[in-house]
Amino acid sequence: MRSRLLVSTVAVTLFLVAWEIAPRLRLVDPFFTSQPSRVLVAGVDIIRSGTLLHDATVSLSEFTVGFALALVVGVPVGLMLGTFPTLRHLLDPPLMAIYATPQLALLPIFVLWLGIGMASKIAVVFIGASIPIIVNSMAGVRQVEQPLVLAARSFCATGRDVFVKVMLPASLPAVMIGIRLGLSRAVLGVVVAEMYVSQEGVGNQIMRLGSAFRVDHLLVYVLLVSAFGLGATTMARKLEERVAR
Amino acid sequence: MVHIRIDGLTVAYDKPLAGGAFVAVSNLNLDVPRGTFVTIVGPSGCGKSSVLLAIAGLTKPAAGRVLVNDRPVSGPGRDRAMVFQEFALMPWRTVVENVRFGLELQRWTGEDLTERAHRYVRLVGLQGFEHYRPHQLSGGMRQRVGIARALAVNPEILLLDEPFGALDAQTRESMGDELLKIWEQDKKTALFVTHSIDEAIFLGDTVVIMSTGPGRIVETIPIDLARPRTIDMMDTAAFVEYRRRIRHQLNGEVPAHA
Repeated sequence: MRSRLLVSTVAVTLFLVAWEIAPRLRLVDPFFTSQPSRVLVAGVDIIRSGTLLHDATVSLSEFTVGFALALVVGVPVGLMLGTFPTLRHLLDPPLMAIYATPQLALLPIFVLWLGIGMASKIAVVFIGASIPIIVNSMAGVRQVEQPLVLAARSFCATGRDVFVKVMLPASLPAVMIGIRLGLSRAVLGVVVAEMYVSQEGVGNQIMRLGSAFRVDHLLVYVLLVSAFGLGATTMARKLEERVAR
Repeated sequence: MVHIRIDGLTVAYDKPLAGGAFVAVSNLNLDVPRGTFVTIVGPSGCGKSSVLLAIAGLTKPAAGRVLVNDRPVSGPGRDRAMVFQEFALMPWRTVVENVRFGLELQRWTGEDLTERAHRYVRLVGLQGFEHYRPHQLSGGMRQRVGIARALAVNPEILLLDEPFGALDAQTRESMGDELLKIWEQDKKTALFVTHSIDEAIFLGDTVVIMSTGPGRIVETIPIDLARPRTIDMMDTAAFVEYRRRIRHQLNGEVPAHA
């Protein structure tokens, strides 16, 4: 564990040093690659101007609302689909079709329906995150070992008992996997949707700064997104491990 | 005093792919007197587990019925508890919580369920492991949890479906020995399904031999060995003779001198 940390730290440090030195040695053009020091300066600049706070708030709101909706809808729907075969047979084909479709392919339709404001981004996040949550929750219920159900029934369990005391806890690890997968789709959805159709938000800034050839500033936003994604996924994984034990 | 009466029991399972039904048990009759330990032995697929499931009320008979205390079984009941071959423990629950499981489902009140669960954990010799989870235990210990869970709800009838089938031979023998010691304390009516001839003789007051195609009883042999039984009895002439007789019956042969 300690050696792993050491190797990772050395690798990151080496990369940062190389990135800083390469432009100075004229090996690469900093216009295209930027440099850690320049990104740092750009970061301070962005924070001072207040744009960071504004764009981060917009993106975070879209993410939070969309993902919360995905949780509230996805988990119960997935559990229900796992429990009732008829419902599953009915909804499985459209669900799989949406699962196979990149969520962003639907963006133009959402924009048409909901406009270019936050609502269409929330829809993209929701669709992206809810499908893996539904599919994994459904699989979780279906993978519950039958002897466990039989054991519960042998002790006079009611249908509700079986659900609460067997199905729910038994499928929790799979639900958590769905949530983690949904999380990365949600982050992707917010940023890319903003890049294509919007007037504000982190994705919008990345796109604008790219068109303006301002790589230093652009990278500040990219780093922000990846830090957020990494943090969220790590938290989900920690939760997942606790649930799976 | 008949405790369980099995009357013309037929159990069939739908086999949609094969186009029809698979008859697991056909027209089976058996009386189990109160307080006796009956073992059912037979090859796999002879329907012995189906008989147990029917008594437990976990499968509906296609024909015939099961009577417990003269009342027909229509579903699971507090008077019966089952021990499963695959243990069927909840992996997210600790040992004590697993033993509590049946008490919770049967909505026991008027006493501290956790305390009662602890008592049964001790009864099966798992003190010190109360807060372990199933995956941290050996197979033998897991089945002790399964047995404690069944005993904790204080059933009149104990149904054991190849409970030691997943254990190694040595563990199996000592588990059988311990099960008998626990059973001797209050002699609940017990039905024990196994495919081990030795286990059937060692545990049973009566050995019921079943055969396939479809599942039926071919012979019922009273075991006249003194109780309490000891592992050493397995080497006695009487035990060896029972073993020979049952093996011949299972192989479909007539014993030489019968």
